[in-house]
Amino acid sequence: MRTFKKILAVMLACMMLLSAGSALAEGEAVTINFWHHYSAQSAENETLMNVLIPAFEKENPGIKVNAVSHEWAELHDKILVSANSNALPDVARCDIAWLPEFQKMGVLVALDEAMPDFAEVSGKLLDSAMSTAVIGGHYYALALNTNSKIVFYNKAMLEAAGVEVPVSMDAWIEAVKKLSGENANGQQVWGWNEPALAGWNICPFIWSFGGALTNEDQTVATGYINGSETVKAIETFAELVKAGAITGFNAGDIPMTDGFGTGRYAMMLEGPWKSAELAGAYPDVAYGTAPIPAGEGGSISVLGGEDIAMFNSANKEAAWKFMQFMTSEYAETEMAKCGQIPVNKTALESETVKNADYAPFIEAIQTAKARPTVAAWSEMDNGLQVALHAVVTGEKTAQEAMDELASAWDALLK
Amino acid sequence: MITKSRVNRIQILGLLTPGLLLFGMFTVYPIIRLFWMSLCDMSFSSMLTQPYAGMMNYREVFQDTTFWTVFINSVVYTLITVPGQMALGLFIAILLNGIRRFSVTFRVINYLPVVTSWVIASLVFRYIFNTEGLLNYFLWKILGITSSNIRWLDTRWSGLSVAMILGIWKGIGWNMVIFLAALQQVPQDLYEAAEIDGCGGWKKFTCVTLPAIRGTILFALIELTIGGFNVFTSIKMITGGKPAHQTDTLLTWMYYKAFSTGKFGYAAALSFVMALSLGLLAIVQFRMMRNKNE
Repeated sequence: MRTFKKILAVMLACMMLLSAGSALAEGEAVTINFWHHYSAQSAENETLMNVLIPAFEKENPGIKVNAVSHEWAELHDKILVSANSNALPDVARCDIAWLPEFQKMGVLVALDEAMPDFAEVSGKLLDSAMSTAVIGGHYYALALNTNSKIVFYNKAMLEAAGVEVPVSMDAWIEAVKKLSGENANGQQVWGWNEPALAGWNICPFIWSFGGALTNEDQTVATGYINGSETVKAIETFAELVKAGAITGFNAGDIPMTDGFGTGRYAMMLEGPWKSAELAGAYPDVAYGTAPIPAGEGGSISVLGGEDIAMFNSANKEAAWKFMQFMTSEYAETEMAKCGQIPVNKTALESETVKNADYAPFIEAIQTAKARPTVAAWSEMDNGLQVALHAVVTGEKTAQEAMDELASAWDALLK
Repeated sequence: MITKSRVNRIQILGLLTPGLLLFGMFTVYPIIRLFWMSLCDMSFSSMLTQPYAGMMNYREVFQDTTFWTVFINSVVYTLITVPGQMALGLFIAILLNGIRRFSVTFRVINYLPVVTSWVIASLVFRYIFNTEGLLNYFLWKILGITSSNIRWLDTRWSGLSVAMILGIWKGIGWNMVIFLAALQQVPQDLYEAAEIDGCGGWKKFTCVTLPAIRGTILFALIELTIGGFNVFTSIKMITGGKPAHQTDTLLTWMYYKAFSTGKFGYAAALSFVMALSLGLLAIVQFRMMRNKNE
């Protein structure tokens, strides 16, 4: 019993000493928490942990960065839940689709108001990418990395059908029809694959046809989502679905990569990640890439990517320094080596970027548009999918479905 | 004496406290908190303030056409899978009860689907029922019954049917074990008496077996009804609610509302609507079984 008490006493003493020691060390430095969704095993995470954070801490001796990796979906839910319990990080890398939601929750810092040198910092970043951070006229994040979608086409299939890579929307319609039917093995083939009917999928068509989703201020949908150009884009898409030229969004369809890799889908609109996926799964398929065909609105794709945002509870000075660092030419070029498309204008000019697999995407990114930056977007997007489903199955005409959707969206945008 | 019983009571209380505390923290508190959530406006715009909103969420649930679609889906799923797996499970249990050799082997074989992971089984079913899946290949290319691929997963009822077939297939083993245990408890002399009275096989089943295992049937019925309303993994993996939420069920819809659209208040209200429906159903089921008893 006695020895036990002694051991206990020694242990307690040690613990007190240790905690006192760490308290002393923390007294000096500021630690900022950075949540992100670079996956734990990825090259991006390696770069972040072993190159970028050490470099930042060396530049800023008083600041320590505690980076925590989450799964993509988990990070979204974790931020929602942490907002309730006041346990948010200082800075997070957010999917551009989440920003409006977090802004609506009132947990983000309006950077253009809080940071005097905001204009100078954001001026170094790509305008189209920065548009993903504008909500109600204020900037709530810095663009961190971006992506967009371009056309991937199967060279052999286009050659066999005698089809040129479509440059205009009219040529695209003809090409998609011509590439559909049966292949030599008697299997059905489709000219175009679209893996879902969400905004991410249909927006490039709406915009390239000259249509729009809402007004500039994102407050009204009537006259835009049911405007004549938008309706024409959707009608055209639905007719091609009905003609058996587009598929991929049904639960029973061949998955996109498999269908493209095995020559069942001739073309698709996809992001830079597809190159690596195809190289891994179907290294033999010969494919080319091209910008989305231009319609009356031009050749306009959809923006994806991530922004870096600061939360209300943050140590603002340290967090802002870290955000500037992460969007600097140095950090962006390092991340560009791992396949992250930079938004820093100087980094975009670098040799790393020019020689990268994603070089064909750079042009599309300049003209691409962001989906509406409103908190109700996920609900609006859901309404859009339901409406499009009704159109492609022939339950409703495009005009009917879009008229209904417009009034539903108007209510959500209020 | 008094002191002793008091000591006893204190002892009992001391032993119960940890359990009660855990029960309170992890069961009672979440239910109360969830109920409160269902009365508050909890969406992106109000996450930090969470103002009291009365019955707003419940009104929203009942006025939502998608809610009725997914509610009907859950009801149909339960109405078909529960009797389906109970009948097949009971049938196999009776067969197994009658044999002496290889009984363990057959029990293991029939129980295997139960221990298979839901995710893996769902993926396999998806492969089978894909538009270019095994079943269509079999029907078209081998048997020549059809002349094109049937789109099993792409419409509401056929997509749900696939999930229901999976649910039944996966549930038979559990029912078999439960019913087999019950069958072994039925006294043999009842059957002998029935035989003397001139009962045939079917008569023996309806007049002796079924009344004797009524308690087990009720237990299985209530458990499986709850399970039917809780279907999630198979739907999420097989159709993902496609097309346009027409194959969603209560739980997949609840998950979607909470985590994709941030409507936690709506999802909380939905969970109470679901719990109340299940509670009412259980009462009805109890009543029905009791009436037969008298």
